[in-house]
Amino acid sequence: MAASIPAKTTLPVLANILLETTDKGIKLSGTDLDIAVSTEVMADVETAGAVTVPAKKLSEIARELPPAPVKIAAVGEQRVTLDCGRSRFKLLGLPRDEFPTFPSVRFNESWRIRSGDLQQLISHTSFAVSSEESRPILNGVLWELRPDKMRMVATNGHRLAKMEMPINSANAPASDLIVPPKALEQVRRLFPAEEELEIARGDNHIGFRSPFTAVFTRLIEGPYPNYEQVIPKDNDRVAIADKLALASALKRMSVIASDQTHRIRLSFNSGMLKFSVQTPDLGEAQDELPIRYTGDQLDIGFNASYLLEILRYIPTDEVRLTFKAPERAATVEPEGWKDPASYMCLVMPLRLVD
Amino acid sequence: MPVILILPSSVADQIAAGEVVERPSSVVKELVENAMDAGATVIEISLEDGGRRLIRVSDDGTGINSEEVPRALARHGTSKITKASDLVGVSTFGFRGEALPAIASVSQFEIQSAAADGEGTSTRVLGGQISPAERIARRRGTTVTVSQLFYNMPARLKFLRSARSEWRSAVESLTALALTKPGVRIHLSHDGKNALTLPPVSSIRSRLGAIWGGRYAEDLLDVDDVAGPIHTSGLVQRPADVGTSTRRGFLSINGRAVRDAGIGRAVEAAYRSTIVAGVRPSFFINVTVPADAVDVNVHPSKAEVRFRDRWNVERAVETAVRRSLGTLDSAASLGFRGSSFIFRPDTIPPNPDSEILRPPIDHDSPLFAGGTSAAEIDGAEYATAVSTADVSAPAQPIPPLFQLRHTYIAFEHEDGLVLIDQHSAHERVLYEQFMHTLESGAAPAQRLLLPLTLHLGPAEGEAFDSNREYLERLGFEVEGFGGHTLIVNTVPMPHPRFDAERCLRETLDSLTGDRVAGAAAKHERLAATVACKAAIKAGEELSQAEMRSLFAALRDTTLPAHDVHGRSTIVHLTWDEVERRFGRR
Ligand SMILES: Nc1ncnc2c1ncn2[C@@H]1O[C@H](COP(=O)(O)OP(=O)(O)OP(=O)(O)O)[C@@H](O)[C@H]1O
Ligand SMILES: [Mg+2]
Repeated sequence: MAASIPAKTTLPVLANILLETTDKGIKLSGTDLDIAVSTEVMADVETAGAVTVPAKKLSEIARELPPAPVKIAAVGEQRVTLDCGRSRFKLLGLPRDEFPTFPSVRFNESWRIRSGDLQQLISHTSFAVSSEESRPILNGVLWELRPDKMRMVATNGHRLAKMEMPINSANAPASDLIVPPKALEQVRRLFPAEEELEIARGDNHIGFRSPFTAVFTRLIEGPYPNYEQVIPKDNDRVAIADKLALASALKRMSVIASDQTHRIRLSFNSGMLKFSVQTPDLGEAQDELPIRYTGDQLDIGFNASYLLEILRYIPTDEVRLTFKAPERAATVEPEGWKDPASYMCLVMPLRLVD
Repeated sequence: MPVILILPSSVADQIAAGEVVERPSSVVKELVENAMDAGATVIEISLEDGGRRLIRVSDDGTGINSEEVPRALARHGTSKITKASDLVGVSTFGFRGEALPAIASVSQFEIQSAAADGEGTSTRVLGGQISPAERIARRRGTTVTVSQLFYNMPARLKFLRSARSEWRSAVESLTALALTKPGVRIHLSHDGKNALTLPPVSSIRSRLGAIWGGRYAEDLLDVDDVAGPIHTSGLVQRPADVGTSTRRGFLSINGRAVRDAGIGRAVEAAYRSTIVAGVRPSFFINVTVPADAVDVNVHPSKAEVRFRDRWNVERAVETAVRRSLGTLDSAASLGFRGSSFIFRPDTIPPNPDSEILRPPIDHDSPLFAGGTSAAEIDGAEYATAVSTADVSAPAQPIPPLFQLRHTYIAFEHEDGLVLIDQHSAHERVLYEQFMHTLESGAAPAQRLLLPLTLHLGPAEGEAFDSNREYLERLGFEVEGFGGHTLIVNTVPMPHPRFDAERCLRETLDSLTGDRVAGAAAKHERLAATVACKAAIKAGEELSQAEMRSLFAALRDTTLPAHDVHGRSTIVHLTWDEVERRFGRR
């Protein structure tokens, strides 16, 4: 919840959390105007009402309180008291109507997806989004919904992550949504994996909810670039390597790689992958790793940090790399993954200069 | 004491001849040079009416023997050389035997001299007519009095300027000489009033302090660099100060004050990319070269010299100045130095508080401290891998860094508190990186999965066309250019937050209408523009790792203290200043 509270804001009320009574208890909501998160907790309501209190203080207080029932009361709209055992806090709030109302998403045409599935997609793709302001579409994660499967894709134009899995959600509308990764992060964190999420979209928004928690977010306007067209179909050179060994070799090379480009050179030879890096004014390093590779020698340059990042998400012990040529996209995939989902990452090489 | 002889015409004819006396300041120059050549420790100069009515120069030098005075006043009478080969490496200001006769022929002239305390002679010359010498009593030394300059040459007299501007010109000549010999005490008076007293000092910085004030002198940077046989020393202005006061350029070659446009340009070239266009730095430089590498006998008033190898000299000067600009000493200090100025003791080596970005290597700390140690790599399996690493220098420790206002990086240094402007600093780092790339080939570039498409206006299109090759080297590989639509396939990757599209757009935008000629100028312009657009901005939050990497990169640049617009990248608040502000001193 507190994570949806903006760190800095010009609108003071956004630093507050809205507390509202409901028929089940209390609903707490926070927003940064792009996304809104709310969660309901069971409580005995004596008098209905609503008030806003500083989010940071509330969460700090909650952390320090003993495990005992808390009583929240409001005098007028701005004075909130909080009693727990012998502890008592008085907080100054802000009036409820200063709190922005988030565009509503009606759940009458909703569909359902297991939270764990969605979270798996999110955690394997959203790292790849772009942070460049000039391409706002790439700042979001593309979520493709089809009757029998769903897929998430994210890219910053240099590397791409794509994961797909079968679903059986009768009502899911075939649609392409571009979702801010920050909202997806809330979805990943707030819902238990086993829960069924109810999802619905409004004009420019989408909502995710479980019986107690809801996340709403603005959608990024598309269309998303045609990424399918850049996924190589004819990469005919294949290398299979031990993921951890590859990662540690890459880390060793990174020590010497330039801080800016992280450029390293990989040379694939039959049975052996050779690494080398040369950074002017610093030095150079070489390394070798036995791999499974047959084919002509291939020399290709990469940003080591892109490769390392992707390797972190590869779910298997072995990783499969495919190439066509030193200037074409390479793919990185799990090798021998027994899972209904499929996962693939792309990395564009660096121009090597000698 | 040397003997004055008349140079044989075979030698005299080889000496660059011409007008010796142009105006009062030339007289001042010749007489003071003679005094200095005579080993004077105190020189007194008095002028009246800007020197038009009277110029008198007294010294405590060797003096002239009575019987030699006539030869001193004769053309080609000199004690400083005897044969043509003496001209090579001549260490005195004079060598022609021209000055005294030339001055005496256009003025009412008197020379009083004594080679020892007690008895001397006084000789008057009127328009070249020498009167018999009179015996006088005086201390060792010489006094030359020049009255009514050009009294017998109405045409020249007419061309003298106002007393004020003649005075100013005389002061300028004297200043140059005062700088070449800081150890000589100099008194200057004008119309009976004391105008300038320069105590003997041992450095040019102290002399400058006495002439233009301690603050002025203190703000200058030391230059001291040896390149083969060429030694460049002196002082130059901090880039941040350039353009804020009168420009002063002083150059001496082997101790002889001269004009030399080429060396002046070399000094200016060293400031390239640290100051804005159109302003020129002040400098006070002496270049020492082997005697046979320079010919002093090329100009009638000895104001110019000729180098056997001009290119090497200019390059040495440029490098020397650039080196000194590269040290933190040139970073602007925050004001508040106080008005009392303490001269730098001369025993301190040049640039005492430079190199702040290069903390001394702590010999007790392990080599490679701060780098990733092997043990930190998780899941490392070394058994199967063979690693070799060849690292040129141990990583020097980086002090703890703090980001302030998401704009500055602050750290503590033994001399004080140092602030780095993150944008300026990054700009400097990228500029040098881009310059290197443009001059040496091509940079690694990130290929794009989804090429960028840019639609340009005609002006931007033109800017792209004329810089295409260089942009490509920097990493912007572009194809399918037609109708001003660019398809960008690769982009540079100067840092992880780099926004390639915006950088390219803004770069082309600021290059529109540029008419920079020449590859070198184009390189600089482009590198500076792209660096400015590509650098991290003020207001961006940096992680520790990013700050450290920027710090290290800045440390490795040749001019860490300035960005490409000449602004400071580093501000140094000394403990002295801090303590003064807190009233602890
Ligand atoms: N102030 C002085 N003290 C001692 N000797 C002097 C002084 N001024 C002139 N002389 C002597 O008189 C000579 C002639 O001086 P003059 O300035 O005419 O020629 P110069 O210094 O030898 O050469 P130049 O014409 O290049 O100045 C000198 O060589 C020197 O021996
Ligand atoms: Mg002379």
